[in-house]
Amino acid sequence: MGMWKMKHLGLIVGAMLLVPGAQGFAAGFQAREPVPAPALVARDLSNVEKSLSDYRGRVLLVNFWATWCPPCRQEMPSMEKLRQKMAGQPLVILGVASGETLADVNAFLPSMKLEFPILLDPESLNTRRWKVFALPTSFLLDAEGRVRYSLSGAIEWDTGEVQTLIEKLLNDVPHFAR
Amino acid sequence: MFLYRLLLTILFLSETLLNGSLAYAESLSLPDSGGLTYDRYAASGPDLLLWVASERGLSEAEIQAAKRLAQGGTEVWQVDLASSYFLPLLPSSMDAVPTQDARRWLKAAMNTGKQVRVLAISRAVRPVLRAMSELTAGERSQLCVALLYPNLYASADPLDEPAYLELGKLEGGQILLLQPRRSAATPWLPALMQVLQNSGVGLQSVMLEKLREGYWVRDDATAFEIEEGKRLDAMLQQQFQSWACGK
Repeated sequence: MGMWKMKHLGLIVGAMLLVPGAQGFAAGFQAREPVPAPALVARDLSNVEKSLSDYRGRVLLVNFWATWCPPCRQEMPSMEKLRQKMAGQPLVILGVASGETLADVNAFLPSMKLEFPILLDPESLNTRRWKVFALPTSFLLDAEGRVRYSLSGAIEWDTGEVQTLIEKLLNDVPHFAR
Repeated sequence: MFLYRLLLTILFLSETLLNGSLAYAESLSLPDSGGLTYDRYAASGPDLLLWVASERGLSEAEIQAAKRLAQGGTEVWQVDLASSYFLPLLPSSMDAVPTQDARRWLKAAMNTGKQVRVLAISRAVRPVLRAMSELTAGERSQLCVALLYPNLYASADPLDEPAYLELGKLEGGQILLLQPRRSAATPWLPALMQVLQNSGVGLQSVMLEKLREGYWVRDDATAFEIEEGKRLDAMLQQQFQSWACGK
C-alpha cells in the first residue's frame, strides 16, 4: 500500500473517530430523526425540472456526486446494480451532480452505464441547501419525503446490509404489497 | 580554450550561487521553540516564502518547488508540522501545534527584513492564523498570506449548518484564498470568505480551474493535474505577483 493510500486510510479512520456522537449503523449510515427533506429542485439531463414531490410515495436514495470525484465514480456501478436488484419496488435512485454542468456529465456518462436519473446542480444550490460538505454524500428518504439516514463517503450499494436497510423503509410504504 | 572554459565555469558558479541555483535544505530549529524544525532554501532575493505543508505531510513536488523558487531568488522556509511535532497525519493534529512556536517562526521570518509571504495548506492554515492573531495589526500588515483550500471547519455534518473555528482578530492581515474548483469545499467558499472577513482581514480569492485538492500528490491525478503539479512554484509566483499585497 502506497504512502498516499496509507495516509488516506489514516484520515478516514481518524475522521470516523472524530465524528462527535457517531453511532455505528449498517454500512456506515447515520440514522436521523425523521425530518422533512430540504427542497430539491434541479433539471435532469433532458432539461426537465424535477423536485422531490415528483417522487413522493417512494423510497428515495439521493446521492450527491461529481464526475471528478474518484470514490463517487467507484460506488456508482454498485448503485446501478442495486437499482437492478430492487427493480419493481417503489425505490428511486437520484444522482445529483454537484457543481457540474450538462457538458461535464455528458462527457462522463459514456464511461458508465447508469439507468437511474441524474439531476444537475451546476450552481450547487441544492448541495448547499442539503448541507453537503463531502462527496459522495447520500441520503435515504422514506416515502413521506423525510430523511431517515445519511452517509458521507462511498460504499458498495448492492450488499445485503444496504438492501435490508432499504427494505425496512419499503415496508412502510403504504399499499406496497411485498 | 581551457582558460575560456574555466572562466565560463567560474561565471556560472558565481551566478548560480548568488541566485541560489544550487538550492539545498538546511534543517533549522528555533531557539526555545519546543520542536518546530524547518528546511531553509537560501536565496539572495528580497522575498521570503514560508511554506507550511498540509496535515498530510510534505511531498516531493513541494520540496522541488521550494528548490526552484530558491533558484529563482526567493528564499523558502518549508515546514512539515506533522513531522516536526511527531503528530499523526490528521487534520486535528494541526490544532495541536503550539501557537507560540508558529508566532516565533513568523517573527523570525519578519526579522530577516525580507518581504514575507506565507503559503499554508488545508488544516495547516489554523496554526498560521492563530499565530497571526497574536501579532499586532502592524506586524500582520507586513505579511502576505496565501491559504490553499483552507479547512476551517469546527464541524461539518450533512443537513446541519457548518461551524467554523474561532479565528480571533486578524485586522491588518492580508489573505489570498486559493481554491481548487473541483472540491466539495467550493460551494462553501462564500461562507468561508465571510468567516475570514469577519476576523478583519483583507481578502481576495482565486479559483484554480480543473484542479482538485492536493493535485500535486494524488495517485489518480489527471494529465492536467500532473503538469500543474510540476509547476507549483510558477503558480505561486504568478498568484503572488498578481496580488497587490506588499506592493
